[in-house]
Amino acid sequence: MNPSLKLALLVLIALEVSFAQVWSVNVALIVVSLGLMLINHIPWRRLLWLTLVPLFFAGTLVWSLMLRGNASPHFLIVLFTRMFVYVYMGGWFTLTTKPLWLTRSLEQNAKLPSKFAYGFLAAFNLMPKIQAEVATVRAAALMRGEVLHVWSPRLYFKVILAAMNWSDQLAAAMTSHGFVEDAPRTHALTVPLVARDWWLFGISLLLVQVGLFVGLP
Amino acid sequence: MATVTVHALTYTYPKQARPVLDRLSGTFPAGKFSLLTGVSGGGKSTLLKLIAGLLPNDEPASITFDDQPLSAIAPGQRASTVAMLFQEPSTQFTMDTVENELRFALENQQVPATEIPRRSDAALAFVGITPLKHRKLMQLSGGEQQKVALAIIVAMDSDVILLDEPFASIDPPTRLVLLEKLVALCTKRGKTIILADHDLSGYQQWVDHLAVLADGQLHLLSTAETQTRFAAFTPQRLQLTHVQLPNDQLTVCLRGTQLGLTHGDRQLLTPQNLKFYAHRTTLITGPNGSGKSTLFKALVRLGRYQGHIAYRDTDIKKIHKRHYARQVGLMFQAASAQFLNVTVAEELALSQKYGNSTYFTSTRIQQLLQQLNLAGRDDRVLYSLSSGQQKKLQLLCMLIMAPAVLLLDEPLKGLDYASIQAVMHILTTVQRDLNLTLILISHQLSGLNDLVDLHLQLADHQLTYQGVRT
Amino acid sequence: MKRWHIRDIILVTIIAFFMGVIFWAIGPVYTILQAALAPVGLSPLANELVIGIWVMAGPLAGFVIRIPGSATLGELLGAVVEMFLGGMWGASTLISGVLQGFGSELGFIFTGYKRYGWFTLALSALTTTVVTFTWDLFRNGYAAYHLPLLLLLVCVRFVSVFLFGGVLTKLINNLLVRAHVLKN
Repeated sequence: MNPSLKLALLVLIALEVSFAQVWSVNVALIVVSLGLMLINHIPWRRLLWLTLVPLFFAGTLVWSLMLRGNASPHFLIVLFTRMFVYVYMGGWFTLTTKPLWLTRSLEQNAKLPSKFAYGFLAAFNLMPKIQAEVATVRAAALMRGEVLHVWSPRLYFKVILAAMNWSDQLAAAMTSHGFVEDAPRTHALTVPLVARDWWLFGISLLLVQVGLFVGLP
Repeated sequence: MATVTVHALTYTYPKQARPVLDRLSGTFPAGKFSLLTGVSGGGKSTLLKLIAGLLPNDEPASITFDDQPLSAIAPGQRASTVAMLFQEPSTQFTMDTVENELRFALENQQVPATEIPRRSDAALAFVGITPLKHRKLMQLSGGEQQKVALAIIVAMDSDVILLDEPFASIDPPTRLVLLEKLVALCTKRGKTIILADHDLSGYQQWVDHLAVLADGQLHLLSTAETQTRFAAFTPQRLQLTHVQLPNDQLTVCLRGTQLGLTHGDRQLLTPQNLKFYAHRTTLITGPNGSGKSTLFKALVRLGRYQGHIAYRDTDIKKIHKRHYARQVGLMFQAASAQFLNVTVAEELALSQKYGNSTYFTSTRIQQLLQQLNLAGRDDRVLYSLSSGQQKKLQLLCMLIMAPAVLLLDEPLKGLDYASIQAVMHILTTVQRDLNLTLILISHQLSGLNDLVDLHLQLADHQLTYQGVRT
Repeated sequence: MKRWHIRDIILVTIIAFFMGVIFWAIGPVYTILQAALAPVGLSPLANELVIGIWVMAGPLAGFVIRIPGSATLGELLGAVVEMFLGGMWGASTLISGVLQGFGSELGFIFTGYKRYGWFTLALSALTTTVVTFTWDLFRNGYAAYHLPLLLLLVCVRFVSVFLFGGVLTKLINNLLVRAHVLKN
């Protein structure tokens, strides 16, 4: 499925599920997402992680509501299953979508300005540098006798200074590689958006609507 | 072929009073390899960025390519007019892999999709890095990244190629390959090349002429003048007349057991046993990119390593981080990495608060500031100081902390002659007075003789102590 | 009004990732807090205590990159990263990201992107609390809690958002202003 449409489908369903109170639809969505993850050969460790995390958080949430709230059992089941819908659908999406392909699709199919698409991608590469910078700042502080915590302004100050430097360097490098904001570009690889994508998108959304509004529990 | 003409170019950095480039004029001839030289902080990078159109220029007509200012060239054609290769290898890419970065650059030039693979492959083959095509850029070494950066410029077919200290952190073999390719681009494809470097060593046989940037002015030397200048230039030699080989009388302070270092999948240091000795000054030398800074990072627990490192016979991983950081300190290569505050006074105050305050009294610190020509700058913002001033202040801050072991990564980088003399004097005095252990990495070799007791050389992935050379 | 340039886009993304790294680092604290409070049925309190750090990307981006939309974009990008890292909220992270970012953005919108001081930060903390709490009334079923607990939750959330998104952000901003990289 086309990544942009897949993203739209994901967000729309997640939004609807957040307000709807139909646990049977939640269960159906969980089963479908689980099936899709299994078809796409999800590593079992990842699946375990995706199951244990919501189990823990949904468990504590439901328990707190039982102790300190007046929610009906039906609502508790809805909340419990909702958490799994979020995580399993998110898991299916991230498992089957490469960030680069999604960005290309957003640029080509969803007409996201290319400066946003490639600005994000350029920063993506810096992830390890950001982690290293945090470690360096903290080490530099320790050598001077200070411990920096998550609430120390100087930790953020130093990392933002470095970030400003990197963004200057990257912006210059992109210009040097011929990137001009809002100028037309060609595409070495085109992300297909075909009728089948629209059909899949439409039918999936329709099925969820039917499920939500025919009076299922 | 394109001739780069600069005419009456003035550039002043925001919030600075004096212009860094002052009505600068000069011509870089088409199809020639020019070496742009001058002191650190003299404006070489600024000039290159202005030529590349990467800094705002109030008078675009002051820089022309075959009489055309960059602003008159269609956006899609600018990269095929001029492109730049940067000093920091890792922050010049947008995409994840080599192939994708090439695609990105060629898409920007609106090269038809069908032609992109052919041009990419040809460029990779030209630089000789076809096997890197599908590799992730962030997993490549600095030298490989610079080769990729050059391949992209080759693919874009840029007429003018600018390089800003491109060899600062890469190994000598890669430097040779890159220089060969650059000369080929000049002679076979008529490209105009301007390469900036503050150090003249190792360029004589490669470049056509020198362009000297001094006091905001540019002087282009003729071929004959260039040869005279190169002939008069003697590369620095390491002269250590009283280094000794380690003996039993010395105390070991840091001990590596089967210590190995890697960068990605590249082995920098093959596992070996290694000792550093207390109360002595050890100099580590070795080619760029061979792993000297990586070793320092490992010693202060900022990087991964194989084997074990012990400080006074305790594994450093078992020492509380806070405690260890006060015992073994690192003066980072980049001064800005050391600073934690905003102004000079704040930074010094932080060191005084936790440092050795009985030795470094306020009077002594004032004296040292005088010696370093830094006095009276208390309220200056650290990040607005020149790189030399930053370096000197950084050294002072770490000396005041007086850790038992102080690692110094290029403490003399970018300093002028007078500053080097002052710094060496201070280092020698403080080391002697406080009986510190100093371990330093330096490419600046002159003036080190009085300080250095032990010399450790990194060659062929092995560190070995050297005696006096005859 | 200022437009988005490539440098700003890269910077906002780095800030979002950086906050992701910070949030990742305190993840264990959050989990322990959640587990410790769970037996007495106060696990949502863990959420409220640390939410300030999670929503900080918004005001921080809004202060550093003073372009309309920067707070929302900063927070949304943080959410995208979190989803790809396999965070515990999965697909709903994206919606939360937009809402949290928009919550902080409202503070800047109300002051016309002209004032960058305490008032804007306090306002932004308030709008963030209102918007995100309303969202949690639905998503996490907070509406079913007894009123006293609900009041406690909303107060703790405001304090957390104000301390991190307000006080800490302002202190960071002060340093950046003094270093001449930001205007006052």
